Amino acid sequence: MNKQYAMVIDSSKCVDCKGCMVACKFENEVPLGFSRNWIKVEEPDFSDPDWMSKKPSSHFQPGGCMHCSSPTCVEACPTGATFRDETNGTIRVDEELCIGCSSCVDACPYGARYKKAEAKIVDKCDFCASRRENDQEPACVDTCLTKARTFGDINDKTSTVYQLLNSESIVTVKNQKTDTQPNMYYISKTAPMNWTKPAEIPTPYRIWSKAANPLVMAFTGLNSLAVLAMLGRQFLDRKNKVQKESSNKGV
Amino acid sequence: MSERNESTLTRRSFIKWAGLSSAATVAGSGVNTPKLQASTTGSKKQKGSIQYAYSVCDMCMNKCGLIARVEDGIVKKLDPNPKFLKSRGMLCARGNAGIDRLYDPDRLKHPLLRVGKRGEGKWKQISWDEAYNLMAERFDKIAKKYTRCGVLFTPGSDMQSTFVHRFAEVFGSYNVTTHESNCLVSRNRAFLDTYGEVPFADLLNTNYVIMSGSNRFEALVTPDSTDLMTAKKRGCKIVVLDPRYTKTAALADEWFPIKPGTDMAFFLAVTHVIINENRFDAEYAKDKLFGLEELREHVQQYSPEWAEKECDISAKDIIRIARELSTAAPEAIIYPGRRSSDYTQSSQIRRSMAIVNALLGNWDRIGGLTATRQVGLSKPHLEEAPFYEDNPDDRVDVDRAPMMFEEEGSFKLIRDAVLEQKPYPVKGWFIYKFNPLQSAANRQKTIQMMAQMDFIVNVDITMSDTAYYSDLVLPSSSYLERTDPASGLQGSSACACVVTRDPVVKPLYESKPVFEILKTLSTKMDLGEYFDFTIEEYRKQQLKKLPNAEKILKEDGVYYNQSKLYGIYEGKIYKTKSKKIELMNTRYQEMGVDPMPVYHRPNMPKSNEFRIVVGRNAYFTHGSTSNYLHLNELMPENTLWMHPKSAAKLGIKEGDLVAVKSSVSEVELKVTFKFGIREDTVYMETGFGVLSKNLSTVQGKGACLVELLEDQSDALTGNMAMHETFVTVQRKGVV
Repeated sequence: MNKQYAMVIDSSKCVDCKGCMVACKFENEVPLGFSRNWIKVEEPDFSDPDWMSKKPSSHFQPGGCMHCSSPTCVEACPTGATFRDETNGTIRVDEELCIGCSSCVDACPYGARYKKAEAKIVDKCDFCASRRENDQEPACVDTCLTKARTFGDINDKTSTVYQLLNSESIVTVKNQKTDTQPNMYYISKTAPMNWTKPAEIPTPYRIWSKAANPLVMAFTGLNSLAVLAMLGRQFLDRKNKVQKESSNKGV
Repeated sequence: MSERNESTLTRRSFIKWAGLSSAATVAGSGVNTPKLQASTTGSKKQKGSIQYAYSVCDMCMNKCGLIARVEDGIVKKLDPNPKFLKSRGMLCARGNAGIDRLYDPDRLKHPLLRVGKRGEGKWKQISWDEAYNLMAERFDKIAKKYTRCGVLFTPGSDMQSTFVHRFAEVFGSYNVTTHESNCLVSRNRAFLDTYGEVPFADLLNTNYVIMSGSNRFEALVTPDSTDLMTAKKRGCKIVVLDPRYTKTAALADEWFPIKPGTDMAFFLAVTHVIINENRFDAEYAKDKLFGLEELREHVQQYSPEWAEKECDISAKDIIRIARELSTAAPEAIIYPGRRSSDYTQSSQIRRSMAIVNALLGNWDRIGGLTATRQVGLSKPHLEEAPFYEDNPDDRVDVDRAPMMFEEEGSFKLIRDAVLEQKPYPVKGWFIYKFNPLQSAANRQKTIQMMAQMDFIVNVDITMSDTAYYSDLVLPSSSYLERTDPASGLQGSSACACVVTRDPVVKPLYESKPVFEILKTLSTKMDLGEYFDFTIEEYRKQQLKKLPNAEKILKEDGVYYNQSKLYGIYEGKIYKTKSKKIELMNTRYQEMGVDPMPVYHRPNMPKSNEFRIVVGRNAYFTHGSTSNYLHLNELMPENTLWMHPKSAAKLGIKEGDLVAVKSSVSEVELKVTFKFGIREDTVYMETGFGVLSKNLSTVQGKGACLVELLEDQSDALTGNMAMHETFVTVQRKGVV
């Protein structure tokens, strides 16, 4: 059976220290102003005049790309750059194919993607692929103060995540209009639940994403010309950049 | 996409990985460094050699173990060292941002000599040689004119601070103080004078915690934060007394927005209930406690009904909590806390907390307060420091508070003495990693103190506000660039351990470790024989009685020798005058100090005033990390926390710019509405409103807290008292 990487989070352990966010930023060189992961907060209802007498408490909810089994971002991508890696179930971005059109950004109910302005590509959590190659846990999991996050393969019965999924009551954070079947699981209960947004997917892209051949995609509909142009520009840009880098090295 | 051979990651396999990396030593040293196969995530991310090295964090004072990943000589990532049990394998936001300290574009790069007026920001780059000659000449001149005690030393709280203490000793000044009197000496005083030592809290194994004057889930997240969460998940009850709805309050079972400064009333009433209802172990009390009958009589005046009126917590709740606590005892703790620089009565407030702990019988027991364990480091033999006959008899802050710690004194009282030039002038200052212009109340007074100094040397990594007002600023190397002595740590139930540091990367620019600076300076000042050792030699001597410590430190990044955790004092007498836990302290009595805490109602703000309280968050260590990009991003500027009802009365809307005025100064900043703060209290974070023009990220943002704060102090220890300031708030306009 193929792997399905997932994260099981006990959000009741989160103290909102932001260790996971800073660790991720360094590990993945995420530019300032953006983040691959987050901590959402549910505060008491301060508008209730009696909030003080109701044992107020807050809930902190760590999150990030949910590596969904039914990913709307993949559906929205016109070039196939965003894809589901069948070997381990992670949702990845092939930087060579990404044209930076940001369709996937709008298509994600969780806001888990951002566009890297300079590189003109979209970036997101990849469960720290390079760390996994060195047999290390994702940076956010490793650094966590209270070990609220657990990572692993839910198809492996010996894994901690499998055991957690099968022994604890589990909830997922889903958008009512767009169920993407997320692979980020929260133990027992979590909050807030109402922060997601419905996926926005341009209609023509839905058609393309069903087509396997990029050439077919490219010749479908008027928008395809724009997509082709962007793709072409991206390749040119990268080619120039590579040449520039090599010429720098020569000096 | 090629299929990768990815093994399942479990905690165990991760630890195995860490074990593999254990052979890693200093990157670039060529010793035993395994070159792990470069990892690739596609053609664009080709990486060169990757090396791993152990170090110990320095972003706060907790020294958490870490593993640095170095790629082609650049530190790319800091990860927790899972073998460093004290912090349970975590590294917080600040710890991760240690890379920002190393590669901070604002780092000091060369020795700088002030050429304009103090604080004008005009500097001339000079050579190290010129810097050494200048220091030797100026300190010598001050010593001749004012005696050697005419130079003040502030060594910071760093693994090399011990060498600043050493230099002060051989130079001949007893005027040495660290940051501690701006932080926690009153807490230390209270617990020392109750138990004979300053205890640790075994949060991991406790079942009931009262957190008062402390914010353990949020302020400088520490190993205790981790253990408190583990305890909470196990069912430990957490009760928080705080005028603010902090993150600890947000995660507690119960939060009481106590009237600030009245915590002693609460704890005296809890004592009242426990004693009057006989909810303590009488046999234990007879055996271990001193002064129970006196305490019984003393607390009769402090009924829960009386306390309710003082602290805004109902008598019913006080009685219930006292009962719950004593039921959970001895696995119950009044958390001793850390920073106690709050009230003029802070030593006695903390004494009232220490006394409740004593009645819970938790001392030296599992889930209670635990005693210090020594890891067994040896004190290196160093040449005895010279004696200088012309020196005055005492420190400059002598007799300004009755119960100061002799080796520590009080920064506030030293500053007063320097300004008054009494009992003698102090005209030189050597500063290492100490930034009172951000951490000590009444910033203007510190500026005045600096103004009347003849010569101020400041060794730091960036141009802090205090460096900005100094005369000679020297670039120190970061903790990732240097060799440090061994350091013995204690804390939590993970037992005592030894950590040390070796360079992870070579020092950048012209930076030098303070040890090297002082060693060279001592040679220039004919004191070279007293610094006639290297750090490596010093460390060898420290470790000489710990078999294999050197080897284990290399392999694991930390050395543990497990020893008994609880019952250390079984069959032994306590280190107090009565040889018991002192509910009543007769030494206090002899000195004319209340032997048991007597409640004095703190000053209260007038109807148009607010009490401003001080607190900490998980990102900033006072003023030292707010300029770092990845931390500043989490909180780009500070604002004034205000209850919307209080703001409405003053016509203030959220986001408005307000003028906040105290008796000592005025600052301007924006307002944030918080329902979770008392209507009579306001709050702002530390680390903003900087004076230095060389802190490019944080410069021009927010306002400085210590600019506003009056410099009152704890009556017993001279600990800065930073919650005694009242302010008015006035709307300035919309930003």
